[in-house]
Amino acid sequence: MLCTLILLTAGVVLSELNRRAVTQAFDERLRLYMKVLVADVAALTDGTATEIGNLGEPQFQIPLSGWYWQIMKLDQEKDTAAVFRTSRSLFSAVLPHLINPNDPQRTTDAGDGFLQGPDHRRLRILEQMIDLGDNNRFYITVAGNSVEITNQTRQFNTALLIAFGFVGAALVASTIVQVRFGLRPLARLRQAVINIRRGEAETVGGAFPVEVAPLALELNQLLDANREIVNRARMQVGNLAHALKTPLSVLVNEAETDDSALAAKLREQTGIMREQVQYYLDRARAAARAASIGSVTEVDPVISAFLRTFPKIYRDRNITFSASGVTGLRFRGERQDFEDMAGNLIDNAGKWTKSRVEISVAVLPSVPGAPTMMKIAIDDDGPGLKPEDRKEATRRGRRLDETTTGSGLGLSIVVDLAGLYHGRFYLDESPYGGLRAVLELPTV
Amino acid sequence: MRLLVVEDDKDLNRQLVTALQNAGYAVDAAFDGEEGHFLGDTEPYDAIVLDLGLPRLDGVSVLEKWRRAGRRTPVLILTARDRWSDKVQGFDAGADDYVTKPFHMEEILARLRALVRRAAGHATSEFQVGPVLLDTRSSKVVVDGNPVKLTSHEYRLLAYLMHHQGRVVSRSELVEHLYDQDFDRDSNTIEVFIGRLRKKLGVDIIETVRGLGYLVGEIRPEPGKAKR
Repeated sequence: MLCTLILLTAGVVLSELNRRAVTQAFDERLRLYMKVLVADVAALTDGTATEIGNLGEPQFQIPLSGWYWQIMKLDQEKDTAAVFRTSRSLFSAVLPHLINPNDPQRTTDAGDGFLQGPDHRRLRILEQMIDLGDNNRFYITVAGNSVEITNQTRQFNTALLIAFGFVGAALVASTIVQVRFGLRPLARLRQAVINIRRGEAETVGGAFPVEVAPLALELNQLLDANREIVNRARMQVGNLAHALKTPLSVLVNEAETDDSALAAKLREQTGIMREQVQYYLDRARAAARAASIGSVTEVDPVISAFLRTFPKIYRDRNITFSASGVTGLRFRGERQDFEDMAGNLIDNAGKWTKSRVEISVAVLPSVPGAPTMMKIAIDDDGPGLKPEDRKEATRRGRRLDETTTGSGLGLSIVVDLAGLYHGRFYLDESPYGGLRAVLELPTV
Repeated sequence: MRLLVVEDDKDLNRQLVTALQNAGYAVDAAFDGEEGHFLGDTEPYDAIVLDLGLPRLDGVSVLEKWRRAGRRTPVLILTARDRWSDKVQGFDAGADDYVTKPFHMEEILARLRALVRRAAGHATSEFQVGPVLLDTRSSKVVVDGNPVKLTSHEYRLLAYLMHHQGRVVSRSELVEHLYDQDFDRDSNTIEVFIGRLRKKLGVDIIETVRGLGYLVGEIRPEPGKAKR
């Protein structure tokens, strides 16, 4: 835009300068003829010459050629002007005047300008008044065809237009190239930021040119600061929720020892508070996922810890907890998330099963272009679920049996987490007759 | 039955102690990890309720120290920490049960009953010796189908003997398990309680073993200790 404006202005200025230069050169020629004519007129009045107007220019001989000269003799007493001599080209025509030679108020003896000639051409005209004394005053006019000026100017303008057209196009092209190549690091930076937002990267990585490198550095520091704030906020939410649990226990217990309406209200409200505390604790944990990119969790230690712990939790029920399948697998994600998923599912199986909970680990056949997935199936021999209820159970925040202890968030957390890791969670029928919970998660 | 509650929140500690006392237990209270550890290390409790977030010494450390020193008292962890890794850590440290806050007192009572019963090697909440039936869930005693009204001290005495039936229980052991630490321990009162119990039950299931103590049921190997 600015480029175009500059080019346009430059073009106009150049064109105008050229027109003036051409006009001046043209005038120079006319002025030369004028000088010769003045000298001739002077010689004629002296009597030293008889002929006049041999200017060596054949155009002055050709009738109505556009090149003329004309000398008028002025009679001061009679205040008249009579044609004294003219060029042949003028025939019997008379050239127009720029100045009135008999006007006593005129301030100049010479003039120049453009006028319409007898042949309807536009003429460039020079005029001069000379006074040779003894009432010998002459008024000399020289005219040239201004087409020459116009042609030269037009030629120059055309050349100028072509040249500037090229310059403009080159400028546009170079700007495009600059934007395309010069801004490539910025595009890369943008992609890096998008990756971070998607959770595929933690920092802006890679080498950047000097102009962009500080920006990348600042961006990384901003991300760090942001992560720090999120972490702190999450920790504080967690601490708050945990800190509330003890006073909440006190209130719950106090209310249970009493039968008054106040105690009933207290029981009801503490129940709500309890759910809220749990909900926000879970949310706080979910918020932490974003900061856990790139972590890897060994599957076996988690499973064996559960195999140690769950028999103790369900000690009175005599349930066999066992695991089989592939060992040495690693989950591409945070340990706590894996514990939450597997733990909740095993716990759920333990709540419903009659005698056994079986955990089996396998690697799924890999699909080209997708990360390798492992499959963890948890079977029980409890009552199981009807096919239509299985889908319902995996919907967020659903509790299928309200009488079973648990916040009802157990399965919905598993659904959320599996989705977060682009995994899958579904319920199926177990070969042992109960429910089979299947987790498909990315592995390293 | 004598219990220890280690919980730093004063209100919650008081509630637990009151509820447990109402359920017929003798209860001691500790408010920090060091005090709790000392009491659990020196007094013969039948079960311990242990908070994890304790001042001075953290609950898991307390538990580990007891277990390293060979203390096998059943421990119920009562905590706000509800992550699976916390539970695994608690059980690995030697906990017998794990309850997260906020909780219902009923749940704590039921789980403690189960812990004590399990330590005694008993599968159900009911104990029967001859015509005498003791239900730990309802704290009721029935003889030949007729309910017998007992004071809390009498109930505690009978419950302890029946939990350890088949074993001779010394008078000093009874004193240690029936009274909390603030009680003025006089083993003579045990004889008075035994006498009252025999009279109320109407059947003589409590045998005096001269010079050793008392016995309920027939002599048999100690199941609670042999199991470990």
